[in-house]
Amino acid sequence: MKYLHNLLSALLLVVTLNSFAQEYKFGKVSKEELLEQSYAEDSLAHAAILYESRNVYIDYNQSQGFQLMTEVYKRVKLYKKNGFDYATDEVFLYKKNSENEKVVGLKGVTYSLINGEVVKTKLKSEGIFKNEYSEFYDQVKFTMPSLQEGSVIEYKYKIISPFLSNVDRIYLQYQIPIKKINVELQFPEYFRFKKFTSGYLPVNLKESSKLDKVTITSKTRTGGDLREPVKSTTTRDVIDFKTIVNTINSSNVPAFKIEPYSGNIKNYISSISYELSHVDFPNRPIKYYSTTWGDVTKTIYSSTSFGDELKKKNYYAEDLKTIVSRSENETTRLAKVYSYVKNRMNWNGKYSVRTNIGVKKAYKEKTGNVAEINLMLASMLSSVGLDANPVLVSSSNKVVTLFPTLDGFNYVIVRVKLADGSLAYLDATDKYGLPNVLPDRVIRGSGRVIAKNGTSQSVNLRPKEPSVDRYIIQCQIDKEGVVNGKFNVRHMSYLAHDFRRMYGVKENEIKAERFKTKYEIDEIEEYAVKGVNEYGKGVSESFNFISFDQIELIDNEMYFSPLLFLRDKENVFKSNEREYPIDFAYGFTNKYMVNIKVPEGYEVAEYPKSGAFKLPDNMGGFSFRSILTNGMIQIMVNETINTPFLPSTSYPVIKQFYAQLVEKENEQVVLKKI
Amino acid sequence: MKNSSLKLLVVFILLAFSKVFSQETINLQVANIDSTLTRGANAVVRSKEMVIEINSINSMTIKTKRIVTVLNKFGDGYANSYEYYSPSTKIKKLEAIIYDATGKEIKKYKKKDFKDRSYYDGISLMNDDRIKYIEHTAISYPYTLAWESEVEHSSTAFIHSWNPILAYKLGVQKSSYKILNATSIPIRVKESNFDNYAIIQNKTDHEVSFQIANVPPRQPEVLSPSYQEMTPRVKVALNDFSLEGVRGSGNDWKSFGKWQYDKLLSGRNELSQETITAVNTLVANAETDKEKAKLIYEYVQDKTRYISLQLGIGGWMPFLATDVDRLGYGDCKALTNYTKALLDSQNITSYYTIVYAKERRDIDAEFASMQGNHVILNIPYEDEEIWLECTNQTTPFNFIGDFTDDRNVLVVKPEGGVIKRTKKYEAEENILNTVATINLKADNSMTATLKRTSQGLQYDWNYNVQYEEPKDQKLHYKKKWGYVNNLEVNAVKPTDDKDTVMFTEDVEVSCTSYTKKVGNRLLLMPNVFSCDQSTLPKYKDRRNSLVISRGYVNTDQYIIDLPKGYALGNLPEKKTIETEFGKYTYELEKVSESQIKFKRFLKIIDGVFPKEKYEEYRKFRAQIKKIDKSRIALKQ
Repeated sequence: MKYLHNLLSALLLVVTLNSFAQEYKFGKVSKEELLEQSYAEDSLAHAAILYESRNVYIDYNQSQGFQLMTEVYKRVKLYKKNGFDYATDEVFLYKKNSENEKVVGLKGVTYSLINGEVVKTKLKSEGIFKNEYSEFYDQVKFTMPSLQEGSVIEYKYKIISPFLSNVDRIYLQYQIPIKKINVELQFPEYFRFKKFTSGYLPVNLKESSKLDKVTITSKTRTGGDLREPVKSTTTRDVIDFKTIVNTINSSNVPAFKIEPYSGNIKNYISSISYELSHVDFPNRPIKYYSTTWGDVTKTIYSSTSFGDELKKKNYYAEDLKTIVSRSENETTRLAKVYSYVKNRMNWNGKYSVRTNIGVKKAYKEKTGNVAEINLMLASMLSSVGLDANPVLVSSSNKVVTLFPTLDGFNYVIVRVKLADGSLAYLDATDKYGLPNVLPDRVIRGSGRVIAKNGTSQSVNLRPKEPSVDRYIIQCQIDKEGVVNGKFNVRHMSYLAHDFRRMYGVKENEIKAERFKTKYEIDEIEEYAVKGVNEYGKGVSESFNFISFDQIELIDNEMYFSPLLFLRDKENVFKSNEREYPIDFAYGFTNKYMVNIKVPEGYEVAEYPKSGAFKLPDNMGGFSFRSILTNGMIQIMVNETINTPFLPSTSYPVIKQFYAQLVEKENEQVVLKKI
Repeated sequence: MKNSSLKLLVVFILLAFSKVFSQETINLQVANIDSTLTRGANAVVRSKEMVIEINSINSMTIKTKRIVTVLNKFGDGYANSYEYYSPSTKIKKLEAIIYDATGKEIKKYKKKDFKDRSYYDGISLMNDDRIKYIEHTAISYPYTLAWESEVEHSSTAFIHSWNPILAYKLGVQKSSYKILNATSIPIRVKESNFDNYAIIQNKTDHEVSFQIANVPPRQPEVLSPSYQEMTPRVKVALNDFSLEGVRGSGNDWKSFGKWQYDKLLSGRNELSQETITAVNTLVANAETDKEKAKLIYEYVQDKTRYISLQLGIGGWMPFLATDVDRLGYGDCKALTNYTKALLDSQNITSYYTIVYAKERRDIDAEFASMQGNHVILNIPYEDEEIWLECTNQTTPFNFIGDFTDDRNVLVVKPEGGVIKRTKKYEAEENILNTVATINLKADNSMTATLKRTSQGLQYDWNYNVQYEEPKDQKLHYKKKWGYVNNLEVNAVKPTDDKDTVMFTEDVEVSCTSYTKKVGNRLLLMPNVFSCDQSTLPKYKDRRNSLVISRGYVNTDQYIIDLPKGYALGNLPEKKTIETEFGKYTYELEKVSESQIKFKRFLKIIDGVFPKEKYEEYRKFRAQIKKIDKSRIALKQ
């Protein structure tokens, strides 16, 4: 009875499918699809994914064991020549040790309408290229033949992977629209995956389960000694288990558009990722990969390339004794250990939460990846009695993780909790870094501090206070309208960090030259810079200047902006709308103070009045003060952005803020002859 | 006398030292480098020796010893070294040692320590070159890399040329180059840009050598000749050679071109009867060969796309025309050969042409060797030379733009190679003409309708905007006129006439705050759409000649309606600047009390000028920039 019921519902399902949806089968491209001139929902699209299916499942096979299979099938319409890039696709195949992923069954066909006839051209081996892409990836790239505007291409392939935890991130959105996409993932109940999504589009995920079984055949040999001939018996074991099925069906997915100043766009495109959290076979202990933050902590602390590395102390113990003693106060100990590691170690540019050559070897060779350098730092800080813990970080080029997962992290820094409760974040890979001044790749990412006792907590790595640039100009205007004077700027905190990173080792000439270009000043003399190597302090730059065309003479009157070349001339935000957040990296304040001596024989006829305006929610503000005394014009301006990361909903106010700021800073002083 | 004995003493002391330390240790000390080599440098080549042994027509060994001191992080690239290999190139020896500033060894890389990967250029679908490399992380600056390699090549068509001054900001203490020719094949050598450099040279039948020493680093300067034109180099070629297993010979372009035609091109232009029939139909109504060629060119643009493939001899030989016909894609060689094949089917003569694309560089007319990085097609038509860029799907027929204009190219004819020069676009042909009607209101707002037409190279510089999405087109104009705060772009209509090569942009813009009120004055900048925004740096001591690579003419004419309630005072006088680099005029004319006319003319003439002229040119542009943004004041 129950069987009948099942059969009936299965039949019903088939019927429903047929009556509602167009069937997408390899080789069944319709003439309508070929005739289609543009994509209905987005007439500008150069190409569109008409259909994509992606089936991911774990298969058991007696000789290979469990394998992860990914079957991909795509049908793509190419409306315009500009869309032909979508006729080339690539598959990355992971390899590690002697195991590697394989792609099989790659088939492709181009369909074109020529004189009303459907012409098919098959993808042949001449259009398929295998490359070694990097140390860990091979690449199979293929390009479809015989394209013309209006062609439809289809291709399918299957990836067989021995790496069960490596489910590739599944994209549910592309830079071209998707008409229909079906994703199905099937995993035996033994394998538990965590999933997390990215992007702003809703993900229509459905979960169900079904019963499955696998038959294992085993041969037992008996005998073979002098008295009995060899005899083998074959036994078959049938194992029943449950399969968890996840399906995602979407249609009419809009194209993803890239916008400037968005930070990492990978965070905004719609996708889903699966990470193996634990494996639970009957009658065997559960093997955890990750599932709660506690488990993530446990996994990482018990791993040889993290927890074990953190425990090692012998390799540096002797050296460290000569650097610092436990009797010194905690800030001194922190500063000494941090400087020691920062100066000794040289980052090789590699990101990882795990060590590669190991802390000991890295220490000896004075070079290592992020984990080697910062785990070494954490270990040394702990060994001198400080409360130091590693902080796992998704750096700026990694998708931000909201769910417990290890795979989401690719970077590690250190947090020290001082006796007064204050916190210091440290990254010794950055030669220009300081406690709480971290490189861009870190502050634009997100972090999670993890302690040995299994507790963890997410942390915001952006600085709390805006960094300040303070500009002072003292100058005079002569009767010809030539301006000469002294310029001074002091960069603090993150702005000093940026200066050191970009110009620290460059010659003074080049440092001075950039002002000439940026401000279009004619002459710069006596350029001097202070504090480049005094970490923890600001950097000051000063010079004398002459500028010939700041002042415009019209009908014997002088016109100019009192901020002179310091004024913002253009609003960087030009688009009318924006879909993604605005990322300034860190908050900042520009303070300008300009004193201008009016030439003899002239008086101030007009000058901009004081004024101020603010962004909502304390996001930032602008103030402009002008004072006129004894032939001197004094201007004080403060431009501040407090919130470095703003949602796209704030875009209109930010654009407006900058438009107003540019207007105010370009208001004119008029000097007329007495 | 006294002086020379002192010198002698120093030599003795040095000799005595070298017994204790190795000679190399002393050489490696950074402190020994003369400050003229380190000032303004990111790295210094301490010594480089390259010895090329030509063993036979298909065997050549290159032995390189190189010692480079890296002074700061910007010089790290000189330490990240690699050597290519491929089926025709074998690495015999590879070793690198890193020394600290005092000359103490800190790390040694043996052949097995090198990383190995495919040379993935990011463009090609496929490439069979591989590299062995080191990725050194500096642990302090300065440091020194000593590199030694030995590589055997079975191709002798390319002989590594000598470019001792590899890059800007690189000092060269010593660099030498030697070719040992053990064969009886004649070798040709050509030196260029040796003036102003002290180079020791020695040439015999079987040995050629060059040496240079103590060259201070060069600094980059804008509007300079290309690097190849300024620094010494030596080109070398064998009269008989082998290229990926294909034998070749040639001592001038005629014979070299003939070899290329016979071995690499000939017989690759066959087409199926079906395709020929299709082409016959395509051109049936065309009267002249030029019209036919245009139809064929557009047919190729429509049918094919560009894809890069670099494999063995395939890197030099186009794939068959029938393959392109079937697959619909190919690289520059394949697409050019395919176009040629289609033209051949109509008995229209065309020639496969080798060129250096992008940065202007000549194929050396006087020295036949493997040169160039791109291929185009040449059709001699009556008195005209037609040039076709076959890898671009949007460019008009017989329009090569600044990608391959005005340079020497190798035209490969069946009877041999010939050097020709591609089309030069004269200043007068490169026209950008802007007309606008601008309406100003008393509330500071502005609305304007403008039409820009581009021809010649200006077409090349502007026409791509039509392929952008409307949202990005608007952004394009907002950026172009970024100096206008609060600019809104309301409408954009591009019109492309590929037959006459003219691109027209009709744009409507508005702005809420174009003019500025200051008391009873209203400030306005009449030049709304053509403010020069470039800035040329000032050099204390310019070293390179001034190169203005392309000339052009920009004209502007706007009718400006003034806001009500303001009186027009005296208009500034017409400004004219005439120099040998071009001419500029700026003119305001009163049409009525409420209307003015703005006229601007700028002609820039291309050419090469002595270095002293740079400052004059900079001033010319600075003056233009200042006048461009000048304003007038209206009073209430």
